[in-house]
Amino acid sequence: MSRTSPVLLVARREFVERLRDRTFQVSTAVTLVILLGVIIIPHLLSGGGTSYTLGVVGDRARSVAAAVSAAGSATDITIKTQAFPDQAAAETAVRKKDVTAALTDREVIVREDLPGGLAPLLQPAAQRVAALDRLREQGIDPARVAAALASPPLPVRALQPRSASADANKTLAFFGIIVLYGQLATYGFWVASGVVEEKASRIIEVLLAAIRPRQLLTGKLLGIGLLGLGVLVLQAIVALPVAVAIGAFDLPTGWVGTLSQVLLWFLLGYAFYATIFAGAAATVSRQEELQNAITPLTLLIFVSLILGFGAANNPGSTLATVASYVPPLSVLVMPSRWAAGEVGVGQLALSVGLMLVAVLAIAALAVRLYEGAVLRVGAKVRLRDAWRSTARR
Amino acid sequence: MLEIRGLTKSYGSRVALDGVTYSVRPGEMFGFVGPNGAGKTTTMRIVLGVLAADAGSVHWAGRPLDAATRARFGYMPEERGLYPKMRVGDQLSYLAALHGLPAATARAAALRWATELGLAERLGEPVEKLSLGNQQRVQLAAALVHDPDLLVLDEPFSGLDPVGVDVLAGVLARRVSEGAAVVFSSHQLELVERLCEVVGIIVAGKMVATGPVEELRHRGTRPRWRVDGPPPGWVRTVAGARVIDVPAGAGNRGVVVELDQGADPTQLLDAARAAGPVTHFAAVEPSLAEVFRDAVSAR
Repeated sequence: MSRTSPVLLVARREFVERLRDRTFQVSTAVTLVILLGVIIIPHLLSGGGTSYTLGVVGDRARSVAAAVSAAGSATDITIKTQAFPDQAAAETAVRKKDVTAALTDREVIVREDLPGGLAPLLQPAAQRVAALDRLREQGIDPARVAAALASPPLPVRALQPRSASADANKTLAFFGIIVLYGQLATYGFWVASGVVEEKASRIIEVLLAAIRPRQLLTGKLLGIGLLGLGVLVLQAIVALPVAVAIGAFDLPTGWVGTLSQVLLWFLLGYAFYATIFAGAAATVSRQEELQNAITPLTLLIFVSLILGFGAANNPGSTLATVASYVPPLSVLVMPSRWAAGEVGVGQLALSVGLMLVAVLAIAALAVRLYEGAVLRVGAKVRLRDAWRSTARR
Repeated sequence: MLEIRGLTKSYGSRVALDGVTYSVRPGEMFGFVGPNGAGKTTTMRIVLGVLAADAGSVHWAGRPLDAATRARFGYMPEERGLYPKMRVGDQLSYLAALHGLPAATARAAALRWATELGLAERLGEPVEKLSLGNQQRVQLAAALVHDPDLLVLDEPFSGLDPVGVDVLAGVLARRVSEGAAVVFSSHQLELVERLCEVVGIIVAGKMVATGPVEELRHRGTRPRWRVDGPPPGWVRTVAGARVIDVPAGAGNRGVVVELDQGADPTQLLDAARAAGPVTHFAAVEPSLAEVFRDAVSAR
């Protein structure tokens, strides 16, 4: 039997122990519930279109209401009508909000004002009914009038048509970067707190008597990173079918590409942030001090997210374009620009290449910080001291 | 054999080690003693590769240390350290595997040592749920689980109750009899005296005495004799003899006499018998504690 590589042993421990950890289980479940909530709740609230109830008094009003109803059905607005014997009854219904508005032969009665969605339907309908009445009074054949008025709506020709699938990909990317942000912040923090746990519990000395600091750090990053990737995939596996099943979202063509972007940038972003989180965490000895050490990094991820939102809204802007190449901002910016069809494979490769260079540079820096600081227990290790003390190892 | 040669280490301007040299043979138990801050922990951390020396070397079996050699060492740091939330059994087999044991062997070793140290019932519990005494046992098992060729234990007896001391002493004696080399530091000098054939005394980063306990007892100290019998006035009549102690409770009938190097103890006995009947006459061996105090105060 051969011995297992220390890096794999450490990675397996990190993966298995974290998986068993109550805090991990609860936080993963909560994140999943929030994600589903974000998908399901807006869908439930929108309730599939707008609807108004019109109170009707008189024959003329009834014809107007019918015309409104016909126009509404063309624009996904449901109009219901309710007849009242006289104006007083209709006014009471408006006051009690039983109806949105009441139509009489002469006016529209509303409580405060006419809803914005109703006005553009109501006024043309009233004009049309009035015009028809007057033409009929002048003896013109109603059938001919109707034929003359029944002109088809203006055709629309788009020079750059928006495709439904591009929109859906943007939505997918938008959710993608939110989830990506959550994963990077969470799993970067797990790494940092794992480093501090080993320092605080002093087991670090036992471990480093058996293996090298670099092996320990690599294994830790690998184990927690795999877990992060697994949870990301789990989130996609749970959330996407739910979103499609309830009709909140149609899977666009190219969705695999958009999802692959999210996974790709998770790997790059995790490699970047988690190593530097580990380096920063190695300079402190207690969990209480950890927050201060990693706050600048947490802020950096947050700024990337804000830029990512900007890019999702306006993927062609100068800011989004520049940020999509600057590591580590590109992590949360590039997926939106890719989903919007703003960049090609060549530009993507450039952005990924720059990020890879940044990852290697930051890893070299973070590993040296880690090696220099991880055995120093007590006061916070100054970065310069950590850097220097590694030179001889 | 562990050979430590000329280790030096400074923290800024403070010199922690100044040419520390000693060696420990397989099958030997080495007691490493010295005042607080003398450099014991620093030396041990360098041996384990946790800390780098400024100069000097550490050899095992005639070769400089590398990762494969260090994997055969077991270490118990002064600051005890285990994963608080990890289960005892998982923790032990993990550490065994990190030291190079294949997975199945590692699990078997974890079970064997946990059983040996009375932790078999606790294998599935997280370490933080254990009493401090049991945590200490897990720590010891962690150092022993891969049956190391060299055991380096920093204050392993501190915080143990007398039963724990006996268990630990028994385990160490057995490992030594199986051919392992053991180095441990301790402030409990009676224990060191009882367990170790060889001790090293370090003071302010320098080894001031190293060797078999027997040898250190006699090195540089004048022979002492305890004589019970006539009141001590007779001692003045013996050339090169001085009273250094009149033990309380002996009712002025007992005395400890120090003789010059080379003086004949039979003259002492004769002088005592001339003064009255002698009920007790024996050489007094200095304890390790006395040797230690002399070594420290000589600095």
